[in-house]
Amino acid sequence: MKIGVFKFSSCDGCQLAFFDIAPEIINSEYIEISYFLEATSFNIYDRFDVAFVEGSISTREEEERIKDIRDRSKIVVAIGACAVSGGIQSARNFGNFEEIYSFTYRENYFKDINPLSKPISDFVSVDYTVRGCPVNAEEIIEIITSLLLNKTPHINESPVCIECKRKSIPCLLVMGSPCLGPITVDGCGALCPSLNRGCYGCFGPIKGANFESLRDLFKERGFNFEELIKTGFNAYNPYFRGVIWR
Amino acid sequence: MEIKLNPLTRVEGEGRVIVSIKDGKVNDVFLNIFEPPRFFEGILVGKNYDVAPDITARICGICPIAYQMSSVQAFESAFGIDIPKEIEDLRRLFYYGEWIQSHTLHIFFLHLPDFFNLPSIFEVNKINPEIVKIAFNLKRFSSKLIEIIGGRVSHPVTAAVGGFYKTPEENNLKEILKDINLVLEDTVKAIDYVSRLNFPDYSIENVLFVSLKDGDNYPILKGDIYSSDGLTIKKEEFLEYFNEYEVPHSTAKFSVKKDGKHYIVGPIARFNNTFDKLLPLVRETAKKYSITPPIYNPYRSILIRLIEILDCLYRSKSLIENYRRIDKATVDFEVKAGVGVGVSEAPRGILWHRYVISETGRILEANIIPPTSQNQYIMESDVKRKLLEVKEDEIRERVLEAEKSIRNYDPCISCATHFLKVDKLYLNNR
Repeated sequence: MKIGVFKFSSCDGCQLAFFDIAPEIINSEYIEISYFLEATSFNIYDRFDVAFVEGSISTREEEERIKDIRDRSKIVVAIGACAVSGGIQSARNFGNFEEIYSFTYRENYFKDINPLSKPISDFVSVDYTVRGCPVNAEEIIEIITSLLLNKTPHINESPVCIECKRKSIPCLLVMGSPCLGPITVDGCGALCPSLNRGCYGCFGPIKGANFESLRDLFKERGFNFEELIKTGFNAYNPYFRGVIWR
Repeated sequence: MEIKLNPLTRVEGEGRVIVSIKDGKVNDVFLNIFEPPRFFEGILVGKNYDVAPDITARICGICPIAYQMSSVQAFESAFGIDIPKEIEDLRRLFYYGEWIQSHTLHIFFLHLPDFFNLPSIFEVNKINPEIVKIAFNLKRFSSKLIEIIGGRVSHPVTAAVGGFYKTPEENNLKEILKDINLVLEDTVKAIDYVSRLNFPDYSIENVLFVSLKDGDNYPILKGDIYSSDGLTIKKEEFLEYFNEYEVPHSTAKFSVKKDGKHYIVGPIARFNNTFDKLLPLVRETAKKYSITPPIYNPYRSILIRLIEILDCLYRSKSLIENYRRIDKATVDFEVKAGVGVGVSEAPRGILWHRYVISETGRILEANIIPPTSQNQYIMESDVKRKLLEVKEDEIRERVLEAEKSIRNYDPCISCATHFLKVDKLYLNNR
């Protein structure tokens, strides 16, 4: 299986998962890493069985490049909140781009930077998504092994709340902290609630979540729902669009 | 004529070397960073102070703890919070985990293949599986250490202004003591092995070494800013003595001392400035393998990183042995308007944060200076030395050497790019 690992606008944190799983794949006869700039100087940009894509699309050059990778790959897997939702840099999508730009740079060099940072699914079809900021390396292994075994990968689609119940973690919302657990997909094992802080949504919204209900609850408790989501790393996720940002 | 060489490999982020050719020879060289900027300073404006540690962590997936530590300390400084020793010790331990993790990644996965002229660790594994096993052991150990304190390795979640959301249980932390002797031995084995490799003869010239000084500690969490020409300043004075500047042939911003002297940050600078602050046992090991200051050969930075890992491991061991959990993980404080500066030694060098905060705790201004942008000058000048005057048909072959000289500095381009200038010309021509 020829694998390519690609980076777009991102912090590099999700492709590090491949270093985490290196002991598992380093001696595998079934896997050939044919393109992975951060790991190797020997890269063949040709055809790929699986392309793992980290990062959001935030320049015109990236728009072209993701389409080219799609054309060359049988399977495209979006890894991490940037590729899946647009990432923390999509926080700029909710402000005035020129203003945000001018806080960082004095001069207007970047004419090719898009005002919006978008998920790759806005440009190409995506076969699987591995969520999180960063991803859970176990889910990458699940994708790879499933594809090798020709079975459907099992990627969790239940909310953080379920994991809190399983682990008997007292509900932070009940205890008085803002928590996005009810609308956020679990993949972290309810990490933040287990460490005494509310979920800040780094795995992103779950399909079909009852956003309205949580918004009402936040309002009742005096928490700012929209601000917490906009601070998060999945604010521009397609599930949020049209529901939260009308 | 301009030739854009292939993207740099085995570095964090996206960059490449561009050479300009005249009369069949290279007449100019520059380091072109094409990583798209993500506008962190802009995003932070208007946000509440307490989200800054988590947002800035996302500047870098390899050194998020460095961002969290510089950031929380900036706000603590603005609010006038004193951090108790127990919390500072835990922060150091947390940060040692990141140094071990980040250095391990660079030493074995990114840098080591260069010494064998191999493309990656996968090929190194075929000729020397033992050294790769050491890499995996160190990676596993540091991952465990970071996870126990921070919940997860990349973008951990426990760091907070005033302390931690939650401090680890004593049992959990002490359990990893059983593995520490193994990785200590492994590190010494790696030093022994790496010190016998061939190091190209090369020396950096006319640069100052800039790093933090923090009493008797080898610098990591905080400190005054020290430059090897004898200057010592407070963190708040950084911009009075250091300056960003632009050059006509390059789009990247450089950092320079205001008196015009160039400098580098990171392991070489720390080692040369504060060798005497390494633990005595570590200094002895270093001397045994002739790793002593001053080191001007950047290829030997791989050895310095190993020595720093050894120091981190010994210090971690004693911090874990003495660890007593405190129930109150954060100190009480009041939010107030002000300016806060935080600085720490990221694995790659000085990471400086400055925030202006409103009376309700909103961020009005943010400025972040990461290590890699401060090392731009030296990386580009080393590449120039390797490639200037090279004949056109020899470029492809010689560029491999030039790439190695960039890797010596372990650049983190994602970090640097949030404020580097990228020329629009190159963005379209990947």
